[in-house]
Amino acid sequence: MEQVSDDELDHGAEEDSDKEDQDLDKMFGAWLGELDKLTQSLDDGRPQKALQKPPLRQETNMANFSYRFSMYNINEALNQGETVDLDALMADLCSIEQELSTISRPNSTSRGQSKGQQRAPGRSASTKHTGTGGGGSSNSRPAASNISLDDITSQLEKASLSMDEAARQTSSSSSSTGSMGGVSEQEAPSQRSSVNSACASASSMDSLDIDKVMTASEEEQAAKLKAEKIRVALEKIKEAQVKKLVIRVHMSDESSKTMMVDERQSVRQVLDSLLDKSHCGYSPDWSLVETISELQMERIFEDHENLVENLLNWTRDSHNKLMFTERIEKYALFKNPQNYLLGRKETSEMADRNKEALLEECFCGVSVSVPEIEGVLWLKEDGKKSWKKRYFLLRASGIYYVPKGKAKASRDLVCFLQLDHVNVYYGQDYRSKYKAPTDYCLALKHPQIQKKSQYIKYLCCDDVRTLHQWVNGIRIAKYGKQLYGNYQEAMKRTEAAYDWSSLSTSSIRSGSSSVSIPESQSNHSGHSDSGVDTGSHGRSQSVVSSIFSEAWKRGTQIEENTKVLRSPSLSLRLNLKT
Amino acid sequence: MAAWDLSITVEDLGPDAEPITISVTSDLHVGGVMARLVEKTQITRDWSDRALWWEQKQQWLLRTSWTLEKYGIHADARLLFTPQHKPLKLGLPNGITLKLLASFSSPVFSSVIGICKMLNIRRPEELSLLRPVEEKKKKKKDKDLTEEIYDLTEVPLTSGSRPCLYNGMPAHFADSPKMEAIYKMLSVTQPPPAPEVLAKQYRPSSVVDKAHINGRWLDSSRCLMQQGIQENDRLWLRFKYYTFYDIEPKYDVVRLTQLYEQARWAILLEDIDCTEEEMMLFGALQYHISKVSLSEPQMQISSPAMEDLELALQCLEVKMEGKSSSASELLENITAPELNDYLKIFRPKKLTLTPYKQYWFKFQDMVISSFKSKEESSGEPIQQINLKGCEVAPDVSLASQKFIIKLRIPAPEGMNEVHLRCENEQQYAQWMAACRLASKGKTLADSSFQSEIQSIHTFLAMQKTNSGTNSSAAAGDESINAYSLVSPRYHKKNKAKQLTPLILDACRNVAELSLTDAMLRFVQMWQALPDFGLSYVVVRFKGSRKDEVLGIAPNRLIRIDLGVGDVVQTWRYNNMKQWNVNWDIRQMAIEFEGNINIAFSCVTADCKIVHEFIGGYIFMSTRSREKSDTLNEDLFRKLTGGHEVH
Repeated sequence: MEQVSDDELDHGAEEDSDKEDQDLDKMFGAWLGELDKLTQSLDDGRPQKALQKPPLRQETNMANFSYRFSMYNINEALNQGETVDLDALMADLCSIEQELSTISRPNSTSRGQSKGQQRAPGRSASTKHTGTGGGGSSNSRPAASNISLDDITSQLEKASLSMDEAARQTSSSSSSTGSMGGVSEQEAPSQRSSVNSACASASSMDSLDIDKVMTASEEEQAAKLKAEKIRVALEKIKEAQVKKLVIRVHMSDESSKTMMVDERQSVRQVLDSLLDKSHCGYSPDWSLVETISELQMERIFEDHENLVENLLNWTRDSHNKLMFTERIEKYALFKNPQNYLLGRKETSEMADRNKEALLEECFCGVSVSVPEIEGVLWLKEDGKKSWKKRYFLLRASGIYYVPKGKAKASRDLVCFLQLDHVNVYYGQDYRSKYKAPTDYCLALKHPQIQKKSQYIKYLCCDDVRTLHQWVNGIRIAKYGKQLYGNYQEAMKRTEAAYDWSSLSTSSIRSGSSSVSIPESQSNHSGHSDSGVDTGSHGRSQSVVSSIFSEAWKRGTQIEENTKVLRSPSLSLRLNLKT
Repeated sequence: MAAWDLSITVEDLGPDAEPITISVTSDLHVGGVMARLVEKTQITRDWSDRALWWEQKQQWLLRTSWTLEKYGIHADARLLFTPQHKPLKLGLPNGITLKLLASFSSPVFSSVIGICKMLNIRRPEELSLLRPVEEKKKKKKDKDLTEEIYDLTEVPLTSGSRPCLYNGMPAHFADSPKMEAIYKMLSVTQPPPAPEVLAKQYRPSSVVDKAHINGRWLDSSRCLMQQGIQENDRLWLRFKYYTFYDIEPKYDVVRLTQLYEQARWAILLEDIDCTEEEMMLFGALQYHISKVSLSEPQMQISSPAMEDLELALQCLEVKMEGKSSSASELLENITAPELNDYLKIFRPKKLTLTPYKQYWFKFQDMVISSFKSKEESSGEPIQQINLKGCEVAPDVSLASQKFIIKLRIPAPEGMNEVHLRCENEQQYAQWMAACRLASKGKTLADSSFQSEIQSIHTFLAMQKTNSGTNSSAAAGDESINAYSLVSPRYHKKNKAKQLTPLILDACRNVAELSLTDAMLRFVQMWQALPDFGLSYVVVRFKGSRKDEVLGIAPNRLIRIDLGVGDVVQTWRYNNMKQWNVNWDIRQMAIEFEGNINIAFSCVTADCKIVHEFIGGYIFMSTRSREKSDTLNEDLFRKLTGGHEVH
């Protein structure tokens, strides 16, 4: 994806020179496709090259870090010719550069090279690879983090090269748009897995150098300068050994945003910067949602999680999506704790005072008390599309079930899963995919598993309430106090934002969507409907989320909304409206 | 006013001494009575702790300014002049018995505060005293032999708010080596009990059994004398309210240790139910705690940073001695130590004819690389396994010399299963330890690597002793019987040989914990059990014809059907409006929000005990809001006192 990102950066440059955005997008897409083709052909063509001899097996893709993140997403962004905020991306990069320049080391020879002559970067990058990361092929493999960093940087460099070229031949490229769409298909799986990443990028550099010698005729200085700057910034990133990832975030209104994240950034930090940029109002419900399309499941990232770490679990050709949307499920647990913590069947109202006491009781003790959730769930049998009923119980130590013919005494329970290694996902439309008895499914899997596997466990609940109780119960068992801390932090932000923006008309306007009751409803169905490109699971999600809001609306939903309404300006707005 | 004779027994004169008779008038105040009495004995000594006890009324005459008339004392009153503090044999949660001076004249609540102050236990309101379960009288000989009582009666009674500390312990413990030994006993966990001892102990088998213990709590608003407790009687000190507020390991050494001990025994004696997985983790923690408490010097908090440094230094030394290498290589080597060896590998998924194949393996930075042979190890590896996030399980049998590490490695397609077979114990311990660390995202350079290896070794030793070869002497004191770590139920279910690997497996998550952290973890796991904090009482609900069980938890009351054992109803204190006790018919009535009223009489415990539990928990819940360190005794008394106080 780094290739693409840099393409985009260069777009920024060319926007300056008054070119058509869309054409350029296509053009760079084309370049990207051709680059990949080149890479492929080079790899195919030079099997004798010792450097390219890949390891026989790769137990995990961890060593191939950068490939795990979906190129698809970024490519798609290009294909759709969306207006990507290139300047913002550029600004990101520049700030990184500034940040890093303070710690830059003087012995960076390759950087000097790249500054000195404009055609050299590809070569300098390749030599650098053999120097630092490339050591992996000659003796022992280097640490995973090294590789990934080199990969990312080299790909970015590669991409910036292609931009240079694109700048040179603006006319010729527009014709080859068609090849772009096939990028992901072109990368045959076998090739993808066997490519020793460092070598691949190195060899493609070589080819580019040749290519460039042949085609270079005219250059656009502005674009080059910008590309140069990026390159310098990238060098520094490499030096600082900080992983950066260019990600594509799908917004609730069909658009998408491309941005850069730091490997150290938490989901909360990314959310904050998204909120700052998108002026969509501050509600604690804004979430980053991971959608795994192949498995038809999704998960709201917890605020404390590390985003890059999670995204690196994606495979290179993954169609997974990262969505930036409002989800009331995210913190519904804290707004109406009685629905989740008391383990009773009926929805109940509760005074705010008691809610607070309940939360305090649950989350502020020496240990967190996991809600006592138990009941009959459907379990999908391994490898079959049949579902079996079992009596499950949630405990702090994991999920258990009652074996046949036994009472539910603790000592007889059979451990179904321990929660250390798995995450909990909402299943989407499993009724048609797996013949699930209802639409209310959850799945438990190791975050690294991305394809169908016997190691993914599927559970199906009778109603939406049970589903949410289980999912939230598992979250509490897994994250404990952290979850409450996340919520408090999110609320703090929200309140601070409202205080600060109480005079600004724009924020009042944008805040309205999350505040007024009818609008928030429509907003929710709105964003899920908008996910047209998500296909079938988009539909099921809207079903679940509308049912959810229906079920929760009774009595308790109102409190939920009014609770956000602490700032006077907002309540004023509501009054005006009603 | 007419004078009359009042005879008073002075305990200090001996049991056979005649009562002393003094001439008094009804308007003489109690202080005057005592002054005359002391004068009459003609003994000069410190009488300061003495007070008058009125036997018929079971009452202390502590208000020295009250006159005899006001107390209603006449010539027929049998009065005893006796010390207010008397020795008591106190059984602690860790099973040790102490002898100490406790107040027999103040409410038990205050007596407990005094005891806790002496023992350096903070938050005394969480503890209380109860009458012990009578031991069976069959083994009189054993009892006399084994019982060791630690004497603390020499400790002066302090009135200060908090004792000052020397070397981390209260000053009175620093006086002599003997006292220091007692403090060590209080603040260091006891070794795991012998399996025979464990098997012999009484274990409640039903909720009703569990309910009986709660009938034994003393009334905290009355004094020991009033409750028939005599000098040198035996009582238990236990945590009664299961809300442990503000545990601060720095100050709470004794408190945490005793809490851990109480939790441990609750688990071992099946006082609280748990699943097999949980039991194994409890076992692993106990094992770890007993091991660390032996090695870790008292009061010293381990600092991982120092260990890291030491390890790095050691590593540096080794490298310096070895071949001369460039500085950068040296640095690399410090950060990335590695393991190299021939191992056999097997993938259970594939139906290969040669199940285990030998390769040269290199373990570095959470990655296992394999090569055809040692000679080729400088080249490109045949395969690589990244262990970060993988699951590691042992498959070990000493008898058949089988040392297999089972790995499940997550990948986009699912989990890949790989078995690594080691040749011997030594090799296994190292590679297993490395795999465990790597699965948690730690490298071999991590400070816990050596301790991980050590714990694997000792567990293998456990398996040796358990396999019945009677070589326990050789194994030394490091070996612990797995039967000491889990409740007797699992003795029947599993042989020790099977139990050890289960515990070992559970150990993977705890091996690097410090002593304090491990104890805290144990307590937290205990608290996380669904039935935690429930004190049971058999009750009869108003209008019901059968006995039911009331479970009193820190935040709620639950009603349990005795027949099925299921929770029928839950009431939370948060919703409680008021509760009343009808002392005449011994019935409790509670009103909850939403016009819910319940009433019941208590069968296995006095209703004062139930009343005190509820009031006590409500008191406990007020603590966090007040944010002050001083204990609000009045509030506690108001909430728990009952009719005498109002």
